[in-house]
Amino acid sequence: MNSLFGIETEYGITVEGADATHLVAESREVVKSYSGRYAGPWNYRAEDPRNDMRGFHVDKLSQDPTDAQFDKPGDRVQSPSEDRCDRVLLNGARLYNDHGHPEYSTPECNDLRSLVAHDKAGERIILECAHARAATIGKTVDIFKNNTDFHGASYGTHESYLVLRSVPWSEVVQNLAPFLATRIIYAGAGKVGSEERGITCKYQLSQRADFFMVLQSVDTLHNRPLVNTRDEAHGDPRRFRRLHVIAGDANMSEYSTALRVGATNLVAALIESGWQTPVVLKDAVRAIKHVSRDETYKWMVDTDDGDSISAVDVQRVYLRGARELNLPGSDWVLDEWEEVLNILDNDPMSLSDRLDWVAKKSLLDEFVEAEELDWTQDVATLQSLDLAYHNVDPEAGLYYGLVDAGAMSTLVTDEEIEAARCEPPLSTRAALRGAIVRRFAPQIKAASWGGFAWEDGGQRGVIALPEAAEDYAALREKIESAENLSDVAAILRTS
Amino acid sequence: MNDFRADETMRRPLPADPMQKPGGDDSGPSAPKVKKPDTRQLLDRMKRVDPEQAKRYRQRSGQ
Repeated sequence: MNSLFGIETEYGITVEGADATHLVAESREVVKSYSGRYAGPWNYRAEDPRNDMRGFHVDKLSQDPTDAQFDKPGDRVQSPSEDRCDRVLLNGARLYNDHGHPEYSTPECNDLRSLVAHDKAGERIILECAHARAATIGKTVDIFKNNTDFHGASYGTHESYLVLRSVPWSEVVQNLAPFLATRIIYAGAGKVGSEERGITCKYQLSQRADFFMVLQSVDTLHNRPLVNTRDEAHGDPRRFRRLHVIAGDANMSEYSTALRVGATNLVAALIESGWQTPVVLKDAVRAIKHVSRDETYKWMVDTDDGDSISAVDVQRVYLRGARELNLPGSDWVLDEWEEVLNILDNDPMSLSDRLDWVAKKSLLDEFVEAEELDWTQDVATLQSLDLAYHNVDPEAGLYYGLVDAGAMSTLVTDEEIEAARCEPPLSTRAALRGAIVRRFAPQIKAASWGGFAWEDGGQRGVIALPEAAEDYAALREKIESAENLSDVAAILRTS
Repeated sequence: MNDFRADETMRRPLPADPMQKPGGDDSGPSAPKVKKPDTRQLLDRMKRVDPEQAKRYRQRSGQ
């Protein structure tokens, strides 16, 4: 069986002349500026973010009290569908407004090349929306793929992985926590300063580490957990869990994205195999913060047996386990993972062509030296450059300046990214979703990851997308030649 | 600014094959193309960044 994974990214947004009180409305307008074909609205009845993996259901999710200052009476429109403006796109992705952030969820992928292309396609789609909105209102609209506003507000880049339901949740947490606490050594996007009260640091590996407060919880908006317990399978819940990883940064680097998701996917497979980590951290939440802020780059963390181990060696424990699994399709990840860990052990700054946190730090170091700045005195300037690294506009963003300069390794071609804007991966159910949107968008009345509700000429029905079809490409061809959605439903029922 | 070292490292390409649980096929590598770094324009781009933009940058708390 193939793996399945995806990335959902909440983008930062600025609109000339608009403050944070306007961002929910502005984000909504950016999403509505999408000019391509789409289906919607979203079927929110199929989702339950308050359902906890530990077997209970919470009455409400924690809210960030600081964020309430930006709410204005009358700011919210009445219905969730009007507020969120969900669009299911031709490529099987989902585009919507998530409380002031344009959000792009990639379609489900089972190969890293497709995932990276679709993640980058998301940047281009949202940038195109921003440009359209800017042209309409005559003001600048900027989009940032990052996770912090440097004032204590964070927004997420989440990953999803398919894991067998038969694995006890306690084993998932036990085995996942040391990995998540330490993978920021190659997956961190880098951040100038700290946003945790009482903590000072010049530069840290992760944009998100400041915001994790507990080991596990169903919350995502406040008191965020290292391991999120939200139980929304988006598939057959009897067979699968969706591992919803919120402890990750938005990577501009294609390499960091591929290694982050590739390694985590292997760890998910490792956990499924019944493997037990020999390394248990004394406090995984404290560990991710320490690793993120440790400017010696030794990254030593305490284990529960009173000893200590480096983050590199924690990752090597998982790497060894993943190698022993000997899974098809894992060679790239295993080899790159090993090489990166070896380099991180000896000369981390030499990874500036691959890892975001290193590339950004190298860039800022050079600028500090060239402009005679000071890391302590010129924090505002350096945070502005940090933000500029994540500007998704290739004409303005510093990451894209590095790519233009030939200083950043890329993994997919421009043609692949352009294709991913309109074409879904052909080896997952996203292939069928995209084909249905292309042929029958006007007849769709509600969409979800699992299927559609439709109405056509007095007929109505629901379509469930098969989760494990033998040949998605063949099914897609049948959908493309179907006369109507009734035929599509029949095709998929017999698949 | 000093040159970056991207062109010194030959990277293996990312395969397009599915990552599988037991039972699938593996894929092979090939070499990436990395342009010679020219960071002069990047320095100019950095100088054009508004040094106050982070102070003004306020976002809604997300997930």
